[in-house]
Amino acid sequence: MLSALIVLPILGSLLLFLGLGGRKLAVVLAGIPLAISLFLFTRFDVQATGFQWEQRWDWIPQIGLSYSLGLDGLALLMVALNGLLTLIAILTAEPETKRPNLFYGCILLMSGSVNGAFAAQNLLLFFLFYELVLIPIYLLISIWGSPKRDYAAIKFLIYTAVSAVFLLGAFLAVYWLGDPHTFELAEIRISSLGPAAQTLALLALIVAFGIKMPLVPFHTWLPDAYGESSPPVAVLLGGVLSKLGTYGLFRFGLQLFPQAWADLSGLLAWWGAIAVLSGALAAIAQKDIKRMVAYSSIGHMGYILLGMAAATPISLTGAMVQMVSHGLILALLFDLVGLVERKVGTRDLNVLNGLLNPLRGLPTVSALLILGGMASAGIPGLVGFVAEFLIFQGSYQDFPLPTLLSICGTGLTAVYFVILLNRTCFGKLDNRTAYYPRVQGWERIPGFLLTALIVWFGIQPMNLVKWPQTLAFTLSTQVAQAQTLVIAEAEHSSPSSLLQGSLMDNASS
Amino acid sequence: MTTTLVTPKLPPSTHPFAEVVHRLEAGGSMLPDTPENLMQIIGLYKAYAVPMDFYWRDLLYIAEQVFVDPLPFFKFIIPEEYLKLANHYAGDNADLRIWRGPATAHPELLEFMEKGELKRKLPRILHHLWHDRINMEFAEECMRAMLWHRDMGGLLDPYMDSEEYKQNADRAIRAYCQGNPLLTGLYKLFPDMFLELCRQATMYSVLGLFWEVMAPVFFEMSDLYDEGKITSVPEAMNFLVNGIFAVAGRPIYHRVRIRGEWYDIVPKSKGFTWLYEAAFPYVEAVFYRTSPFRGTKSYNAQANEVPTNQLDFHYGVLYADKFPVGSAGIPPTLLHQDMYHFLPQYLVEYYRKHCRGEDDMLIQLGISFQRSMYNVTSAVIQAGRAAFLYPLDDPNPRHLMMNRRYFEGQLNRFTRPEYGIREAARLSYIQDQNYR
Repeated sequence: MLSALIVLPILGSLLLFLGLGGRKLAVVLAGIPLAISLFLFTRFDVQATGFQWEQRWDWIPQIGLSYSLGLDGLALLMVALNGLLTLIAILTAEPETKRPNLFYGCILLMSGSVNGAFAAQNLLLFFLFYELVLIPIYLLISIWGSPKRDYAAIKFLIYTAVSAVFLLGAFLAVYWLGDPHTFELAEIRISSLGPAAQTLALLALIVAFGIKMPLVPFHTWLPDAYGESSPPVAVLLGGVLSKLGTYGLFRFGLQLFPQAWADLSGLLAWWGAIAVLSGALAAIAQKDIKRMVAYSSIGHMGYILLGMAAATPISLTGAMVQMVSHGLILALLFDLVGLVERKVGTRDLNVLNGLLNPLRGLPTVSALLILGGMASAGIPGLVGFVAEFLIFQGSYQDFPLPTLLSICGTGLTAVYFVILLNRTCFGKLDNRTAYYPRVQGWERIPGFLLTALIVWFGIQPMNLVKWPQTLAFTLSTQVAQAQTLVIAEAEHSSPSSLLQGSLMDNASS
Repeated sequence: MTTTLVTPKLPPSTHPFAEVVHRLEAGGSMLPDTPENLMQIIGLYKAYAVPMDFYWRDLLYIAEQVFVDPLPFFKFIIPEEYLKLANHYAGDNADLRIWRGPATAHPELLEFMEKGELKRKLPRILHHLWHDRINMEFAEECMRAMLWHRDMGGLLDPYMDSEEYKQNADRAIRAYCQGNPLLTGLYKLFPDMFLELCRQATMYSVLGLFWEVMAPVFFEMSDLYDEGKITSVPEAMNFLVNGIFAVAGRPIYHRVRIRGEWYDIVPKSKGFTWLYEAAFPYVEAVFYRTSPFRGTKSYNAQANEVPTNQLDFHYGVLYADKFPVGSAGIPPTLLHQDMYHFLPQYLVEYYRKHCRGEDDMLIQLGISFQRSMYNVTSAVIQAGRAAFLYPLDDPNPRHLMMNRRYFEGQLNRFTRPEYGIREAARLSYIQDQNYR
């Protein structure tokens, strides 16, 4: 079953590369994995800890590579998100896209690879899929992007290559220093690593996945890549690719190194808050709506890091929900921004105006843009609120100041979205130049679909929250146990405990 | 094709709208002479004339019978006698037959009044409440603009402040309030308010009498175009100029009928005439100035785009932004909705081919309306030149220069940078055929 999520899109991409099929085939091949993942939800046991539907085949045992797959609540959500956004990306693409088979093939190849990464239970297998994703994404940016696409694609490639180096380094450290020497997630026992080695490996992972998310200051590839990509690719980059980073942090950072994570949690919480504020402030300064949305993404990654740093069941659940929420909202915003650019011919805030005009503007697109902005700013009743509320509620006790700063960040999010909406949707449409083509019915479908989910999960959050709760509790327990162990060890080695011990010894003697 | 004949007796104009100045000097219109422009403006005149045929009848009804009613709930539901009121300038029994059409209301108007947009015969109040009606809001806005600005030349305006007018008004108001203790009490408490309501009723009458002339003019222009007898924009403009002069001396008056008896507020004997007391003030107040109400022009009060001086107001149709303002889904104006019902088929087909077709027809026809009103304004400018200055073919260069100064003075209203009017006025826009 899980293999179908990987194999079907990849095989489909090969068919498309060979010139067979077209847009319709791509839609079908994107729809099947989505349907499978929705079916998996009906069979998923939310109470069970660990992975479900596990399968394993030793691929190259000599190097520790096995085809091990499995899904837990988080991975299932990510697979479903990937399936949905792949379909959305294909539907968002213009029917007259040049070299359509290559385009749709790259999207499917990327989708299959991402599914592989989310389902992988072997570090090396994860790494392979993680790297495989780069090829189609590089092509998608460099062939179908805006005029500066080559620069953006190369920059993206260089950054992610650096990310891969850190990732591979961390995985090899786990393999070499660990006992037993294995890449199997279920078999890794990192207790054999010393505290310093654990911290170093975790730092390498944070850098690797921090580039992918991206986190400040590793984010400078993002505005170019998002901004220069075509809208469907931007949907995938922001909605899915960035989740590889956050998922990696959960799976290989927090889950493998709970003790080191607990040690670094204060730093990570502040890092998250800084990311939130800097992303929001940078977004406020933008004049290009696509780059504004891109910078908003950086800010929202900060919330996830804050929630992970606190590592309480609520904050971890919030962080995982935020991954889905961010994917849906960002996909909606990029879809709408793409439509605006396609119809109006510009993304410049100084040029755009009055698009809410019911007769000559883009009223539906503008209305959805307003809703997307509200969702991103965490307005209650929408999915963004659910995620941010859980994160803040879960992290305030441990990290009050970073949490408060992050709450201020939501206010700044509202600021830049008000700027965006005020300049883009409201105001006066230029009577002389506003001869924009009408938005066709099919072009509205992705936006309506995403909006429906954003609203539905906003008013029925348990439909989203229940899937990763068990995992959140497990991870939180691991971190708490690690912290307890650290405290116990510290107490045991402190002078007072030594004194107490000697007194007790004397008393007993 | 644009007419740019320049009389050789004068050097070329250096005005920012020099091309338009030269066109006016050659007897042309501010609107370029193209078949497409002609089709748009004539089609719009026809579409405008049908609701206008209702406007003037209702305006006279309000002026003459609703008068100073403080709660005029049913002023837009006119009695049959006003719907059947004979036009004074058309029909076989006209006082002064100038136009060839019938005196009765236009057949399309009568059909619409009966069944409305719903195409179903229902009690008129239901059509009205469903907004399936001719909207008088635009007509009232025009009337209010004329009343509010005032002091735009002519003799009627000072007369409305005279003792004679006040006595006439007082007599009529007393008669109106007779037998109604509440109204009588109110009049005693607020005499100035009732006097102002009376002035408003006078303005209703002025505008009604103005449009009584214009409706058959527009119908006849449409008929002549259909018959191939009007073939250019200047011909259309000249038809208007001739029409203006034909009725220039017709009386402007205001009388009220109370319990079957007529009371003169502004008697015909005062000699107020159509051109000076209705046509010129109307163009000034409605085309050029009006007021900053939503749906005409986007303005930014914080940026001082609302002039402090009423004389400098520039919210009329010549500046109007035809897009809904405020992003609140307001249609361009209710007038556009009225005209939409009576568009000739050739114009409907034309609009379907451009922009968003059916979806934005209200905007397209609004911009055609703007073109057509630039042509009407051109006719008024030419009429003013003919009334006060010299012929276009005058052999004296000094006279021609005075004509030019007059034309340039009129066009200067579209160029004042202090309010960003150079951009706001649509004169430069309508020179472009692709402005839709």
